[in-house]
Amino acid sequence: MRNVLVVDDSRVMREMIVAALRGLEGLKFTHAASGLEAIERLSLHPFELMVLDLNMPDINGIEVLEFVRSQDQLRSLPVLVLTSRSDEASRERAIQAGASRYMSKPFEPQSLIASAAELVGGETSNGG
Amino acid sequence: MTDSFDAADFIAGFIVEAEEHLGAGAKGLLEIADAAERGKAAPRQVRELYRSLHTLKGLAAMVDVEPIVGLAHALESTLRDADAAGGRLSVEGADLVAEGLRAIETRVGDLQQGRPVQAAPRELLGRLAVVDVDDDEAAGKAATLEEDEVLSRLDAAEREMLEQGLDAGKSALRLDFSPSDERYNEGTTITAIRGRVESVGELVKVVPRSVPRSSSAPSALTFSLLFLARGSLEELREKLGAAPGELRVLDKRKQEEAPPEVDEAALMVPEVAEAPAFGRGVVRVDVARLDEALERLSDLVLARFRLEAEIEALAQRGADVRRLKEFSSEHRRQVRALRAAIMRARTVKVAEMLERLPLLVRGLAKERRKKVVLALEPGREELDKAVAERLFPAVVHLVRNAIDHGLESPEERRAHNKPEEGTLSIRCSTGARGFLEFLIEDDGRGIDKARVAEQAGTPAPKDDDELLRLLRRPGLSTRTTVDRTSGRGLGVDIVLRVVEDLGGEVTLATTEGQGTTFALKVPLSISIIEGLVVSAARERYVIPSAIIDEIVEVEPARLAHPPGAERSGISLYERRGVTMPFVRLRRLVDAPIDEISREKAVVVRRHNELFAFGVDRVLAQQEVVVRRLEDPLIRVAGIVGAADLGDGRPALVIDPIALVGKTTSVEEKRP
Repeated sequence: MRNVLVVDDSRVMREMIVAALRGLEGLKFTHAASGLEAIERLSLHPFELMVLDLNMPDINGIEVLEFVRSQDQLRSLPVLVLTSRSDEASRERAIQAGASRYMSKPFEPQSLIASAAELVGGETSNGG
Repeated sequence: MTDSFDAADFIAGFIVEAEEHLGAGAKGLLEIADAAERGKAAPRQVRELYRSLHTLKGLAAMVDVEPIVGLAHALESTLRDADAAGGRLSVEGADLVAEGLRAIETRVGDLQQGRPVQAAPRELLGRLAVVDVDDDEAAGKAATLEEDEVLSRLDAAEREMLEQGLDAGKSALRLDFSPSDERYNEGTTITAIRGRVESVGELVKVVPRSVPRSSSAPSALTFSLLFLARGSLEELREKLGAAPGELRVLDKRKQEEAPPEVDEAALMVPEVAEAPAFGRGVVRVDVARLDEALERLSDLVLARFRLEAEIEALAQRGADVRRLKEFSSEHRRQVRALRAAIMRARTVKVAEMLERLPLLVRGLAKERRKKVVLALEPGREELDKAVAERLFPAVVHLVRNAIDHGLESPEERRAHNKPEEGTLSIRCSTGARGFLEFLIEDDGRGIDKARVAEQAGTPAPKDDDELLRLLRRPGLSTRTTVDRTSGRGLGVDIVLRVVEDLGGEVTLATTEGQGTTFALKVPLSISIIEGLVVSAARERYVIPSAIIDEIVEVEPARLAHPPGAERSGISLYERRGVTMPFVRLRRLVDAPIDEISREKAVVVRRHNELFAFGVDRVLAQQEVVVRRLEDPLIRVAGIVGAADLGDGRPALVIDPIALVGKTTSVEEKRP
């Protein structure tokens, strides 16, 4: 089982992300509804992938990314940024802050699966 | 496998979240508008609203509701500019944003009612695109604060928030909290700590920091929460419930120094400012009950996805999956029905229902050039969401009337030795068992009975009850001219109808020159059924969908008239080899029989027995609110109750099988 942290302040959005990623086998999902919750979860448990929204209360996704990349034990955590911001500047900023992948909402379940499969690597074959 | 990912399955969840965002947004916007009028910034509210709209936009895009995406996007851009300007928005900008939120609300309503969603109004989008933010005044620096690594991370809006708080005499404080497994398992999470901080003050910023691993910071992580609050360090420490963490004051100034600001221009009384007591936090706890059910539901939906995928896979391998597919689509319908049931099971707080009123009252008062103090006492009651949805427009109607007609202009009030500001008070309390009572009271001019009587062409009503009966006459619901004494005639009949359809009642008390009070008594819950609306002999009837097996077009060849059919009205109808009793609905209701072409029959099943009922036309399938006929004197077998089909004309909700029982027994008694 690989642990995936799904970070988005919208419950429905988290559900949609999880629903799409169920297409990959062997994933276990943990929800975080804010950047703060995400950082807290990351500091207490190991994860193999984080799907991260940018626009959130208290701490936005960029801040979460910056924090994650400043931590030795989290530096190599694959982070898939999934956001409604589709402009080039936001993409650049996220990549600079350390995003492994950048995808815009609305997302295609297939491309989300494909990116996630690439990031967690290995035995998942039906990633599309 | 993800072919079975269907965004439509998330519509219900979308509606729930959209409503939360809109409710909180209306409240935030009121504060933003207040600040704008005083030339001040509202950095926290602007940012929260900006975020809300961004979230809404993303969700709407996922569930593919383009008009909401467009509106949310336009509003988001406006608010992003305002946020960049330190949380400032012009008064006109705030009004436009309010208009935009209402437009989204209307469209969420469309979704909820299953109607096609109206397109986004182009003209509004255009005006939103050119909104000016009010950025004349640059955000100040929190120069009075100690140097602090958290402070150095603040942006313009956050500094503005801090500066405003300090100006208002609050202290800037910092709480450091380190998460650990133990604390996490006890529920002492960063989210819980954040909640506690928000209960004692205003959170400005949270910064996560790496710290050396120690017994007090086993995760090598510390969250620094920067917030504004009043009170001494000891008091705050106590109020924070001895939160694990270090608390310190950041500003150099003495805490008692600046008195709180006096707000001269405000139209509202403090009750409104205190509304956060029923705000998001509390509501969320309640919505959580529903959320839990929705979460179970989404598991079910996911299971269905997998099931469907498996069926598809089987089909591709050449298996016969017709039966499986039938079950699967049945399952799909059941999941839909379950979701509808959950949505209906949701109760809302009265406070939540009324939270958009302050903004409305403010707008109306401005428009009508009246000074209005709104005293809102929503209480802590909850009511059925279906009741709330129907009742709220009626309350809004009365509020409009009170401001339009009831309350006088400031000049007129002064001339009558009344305070310039009129008071509109809206209170809710528990009434009789199972009922809530809403009082909508103004201290305006009262209703001129003589004038109403004159318009109605009747003698003056002897009391308020009689006046109310006069007011409900449709003839009185249109105001002919600009008529200052016509009082509250406008549309009272609509309010009465709504409340009565809910099974409630309205009473009126009015005193000329002193004011008017409407009391609405409404049930806490109502019953809603899905029904088929049919017509027979030009009357409409509702048959509960639950008992309907099929709707067929009557083929005269399949109809048999055994001896006695003429008298009993019962013929026989054959459908796919099964013969069942056939009765024309018009016969059951003793209506004359005309010739009907293309007669339809509704096949109804009870205990595995089938009955067919001939109807003239099948009009619609819709949800209706059933007012049960509880009075034993008027209870008739076969008549379940009455329902309003949305056009004001009641229709009977019938159980046709029980109706047959009634006529046949009557027939048998005849010699």
